[in-house]
Amino acid sequence: MKVLDHLEEWIITFLMGAATIVIFVAVMHRYASGLPIGALQERLIQINTSWAQELTIIMFVWMAKFGAAYGVRTGIHVGVDVLINRLAERTRGKVVTFGLLAGALFTGIVGTLGVRLVWENGMHYALFTMLGWNVGDVPEGPTTPDLEWPTWVVYSAVPLGSYLMCFRFLQVTWQFLRSGELPHHEVAHVEGLEEEPAPPKPGVEDAIYRMRDEVHPHDVEHPPLPGDDDSGARK
Amino acid sequence: MSTAIIFGLLIALMLTGMPISISLGLTVLTFLFTMTQVPIESVALKLFTGIEKFEIMAIPFFILAGNFLTHGGVARRMIRFANSMVGHWHGGLGLAGVLACALFAAVSGSSPATVVAIGSIILPAMVKQGFPKKFGAGVITTSGALGILIPPSIVMVMYSVSTNSSVGALFMAGVVPGIVLASLLGFTTWYRARKFRYPRNPPASWAQRWKTFRESVWGLLLILIVMGGIYSGLFTPTEAAAMSAVYAFIIAVFVYKDLRLRDVPRTLLASANMSAMLLYIITNAVLFSFLMTSEQVPQAMADWLIGKGLGVVAFLLVVNVLLLLAGNVMEPSSIVLIMAPILFPVAEKLGIDPVHFGILMVVNMEVGMCHPPVGLNLYVASGITKMGITELTVAVWPWLLTMLGFLILVTYWPPLSLWLPRTLGMVSG
Repeated sequence: MKVLDHLEEWIITFLMGAATIVIFVAVMHRYASGLPIGALQERLIQINTSWAQELTIIMFVWMAKFGAAYGVRTGIHVGVDVLINRLAERTRGKVVTFGLLAGALFTGIVGTLGVRLVWENGMHYALFTMLGWNVGDVPEGPTTPDLEWPTWVVYSAVPLGSYLMCFRFLQVTWQFLRSGELPHHEVAHVEGLEEEPAPPKPGVEDAIYRMRDEVHPHDVEHPPLPGDDDSGARK
Repeated sequence: MSTAIIFGLLIALMLTGMPISISLGLTVLTFLFTMTQVPIESVALKLFTGIEKFEIMAIPFFILAGNFLTHGGVARRMIRFANSMVGHWHGGLGLAGVLACALFAAVSGSSPATVVAIGSIILPAMVKQGFPKKFGAGVITTSGALGILIPPSIVMVMYSVSTNSSVGALFMAGVVPGIVLASLLGFTTWYRARKFRYPRNPPASWAQRWKTFRESVWGLLLILIVMGGIYSGLFTPTEAAAMSAVYAFIIAVFVYKDLRLRDVPRTLLASANMSAMLLYIITNAVLFSFLMTSEQVPQAMADWLIGKGLGVVAFLLVVNVLLLLAGNVMEPSSIVLIMAPILFPVAEKLGIDPVHFGILMVVNMEVGMCHPPVGLNLYVASGITKMGITELTVAVWPWLLTMLGFLILVTYWPPLSLWLPRTLGMVSG
C-alpha cells in the first residue's frame, strides 16, 4: 500500500516538473536556433522540438488522471457542502457515504469504458501480435500525430487513473465508516501563525482547499457504523 | 424537458456534497445511458481529449509559478515596498495591504493564495500597531480578491477555455479594472481610516523607496514576462506560463533563497495536486457541455431569452444575479466552467463582447469569494485571524459594497475593460 502511495506521488511530481522543463527547453531552443552563431545554429536547427507540445499535453493528462486519484486521498476535490454540513451528524454520515460511493461508481464506469476504448484502439492488435496469435481483421490502431506513439498506450491513462481513483474512493469510504474522519484533516490548516508570523509553507495554495470550509464535507464525530442505529449519534 | 431533467439531476447530485466533478460526470452518464442514442464510447474518449488542448496547460504552470512565490520572502518584500510608498497616508499599513495585494496578484493567479501570502504577514503587524482586527481582516479579505482580476489569472484561463476566447486579450482586459478596483478599495480604506483615526507610518525617504523597490522588483518582473511575452508574440500564453514557472523557481531558490532545493519536490507535488483537481473538473465540465450542446440547450435558451425581448441591460442583470447566487454555493472555477458555456452563446447573440463578458464574470466571482457561505477568502482570513465567519462577514461589508458598486460599473461600462486590449489591437472593434 505504501509503495502504491509513493509511486503515485512520485509519478505526478515527476510529470509536473518534467513538463515544465520540456516547454522551457523547447522555447529556449526556438530562440537559440535563431541566434546567428554558425556552428551552434546549424546543430540546433537539426534538433526537432515540434513534439514538445504534444508531449506536454500527454504528460499533463496523465498527471491529471493520477493526480485526481491522489486528490481523493488528500481530500482536495471541491463540492457543494453548504447544505449537508448543516445536517444532523447521522444523516450527514449517510449522505457523505453516498457521495463517496457515487464517486467510486462513476470512476469505476469510466475505467471500464476506458478499458474498452484502449482495447479497441490498438491494444487488441498489439497484444495479439506480440503473442503471435492470429489478429484477423483487427485494425492496428492509430498513432499520435507528432510523436507517433500508439494512441492506446497514451489513452491507457483513462482506465488506469480511473480505476486507481475508484480504489481511492473505496479506501476513503472504508476509513470514513470506521472513524468518521475524512482525509482533509490530515493536512494542517493555514495555521502555525499564533506564535510567530512564520511565512506559509511552500505549496500552501492547495492546503486552502482542505480547510474546514463549505466546499468540503465536515467530519462526523460518531462513525456511522452499520447497525449503529439510534445509539450514540444523538448527542 | 430534457433541460429540466439535466439540471434537476445535476443540482440534486451536487447538493449531496459529492465532488462537483463527479456530479457533472454522473449526470452525463445517467442521461446518456437512459435517454439518448449518443454512443457511450465517446465518453471515455472525451475524458482524454477533453483536456487535450494546449491552452488548458497554462493552468498547472501558473499554479506552479504561484506556489513557488507563495511564501514569506516575496510577499514580505512587496509589503515593504508598498508600505514605503503609501504607508504615510491615512490607513497606513491597511492601505499598504491593498497595494501589496495588488502587486502580489500580479504574480499569482489565485485569490485565496493572495490572502494567505499578504494577510499572514500584514495582519499580525496591523494588530500590533493598534488597528482593530476586523479592519485588517476586511481590507485583506477583499483586496485578496484582486488575485483573479489582475493577470495572470487561473479563472480567466478557465473562461477562455470554455468559450474559446483569447487568453491574452482577457489578461490585458483585466489590467485596467484591476487598477481601478485596487484604487477603490484603497479609497474605502483611506476614508474609514481617516474617520476612525487609525495609525499612520512615518513617510519613507525616496532612497528607502528605491531600495525596497529594488528588493521586490525580481518578483514583479514575472508579470512583465507574462504580459510582455504574450503581447509581443514571443510566447503563447501556455509557454509564458511555463516560463514564469521556471522564472519563479529561479527567483525563489537562487535569488531570494527562501525556498530550499529539497522543498522543490513538495512544491511540485502540491501544485500537481491542485492542478489535477481543477483539470478533473474541466474534464467533466467538457463532458457536460458536450451533452448540453448535443441537446442544443444553449441555443434553445438563447432563442427563448431573445424571444422574450430581453435586452442587453436586462440580460446582464440576470447574469449577475444568477452568478451571485451561484457564488453562494460553489467556488469560482466550477461556476465559470458550468455557467460560461451556457451563458456565452446568449451573450454572443446579443452582441456582448466575449472579453467584456469574461471580465464581468471574473469580477462577479471576486464578490462571491468575499461573502458567506462559500467565500474561500473568508475562510482563509478566518484561519489567519482566528475570527469567526459571522464576525468577518460584518467586517468586510464596507469593502464588499465597494466591490458591488464596481461590479455594476464593469457590467454596464464595457470600455473600462475593453479600452486597453482594443488600443493594443488585441480585440477587434
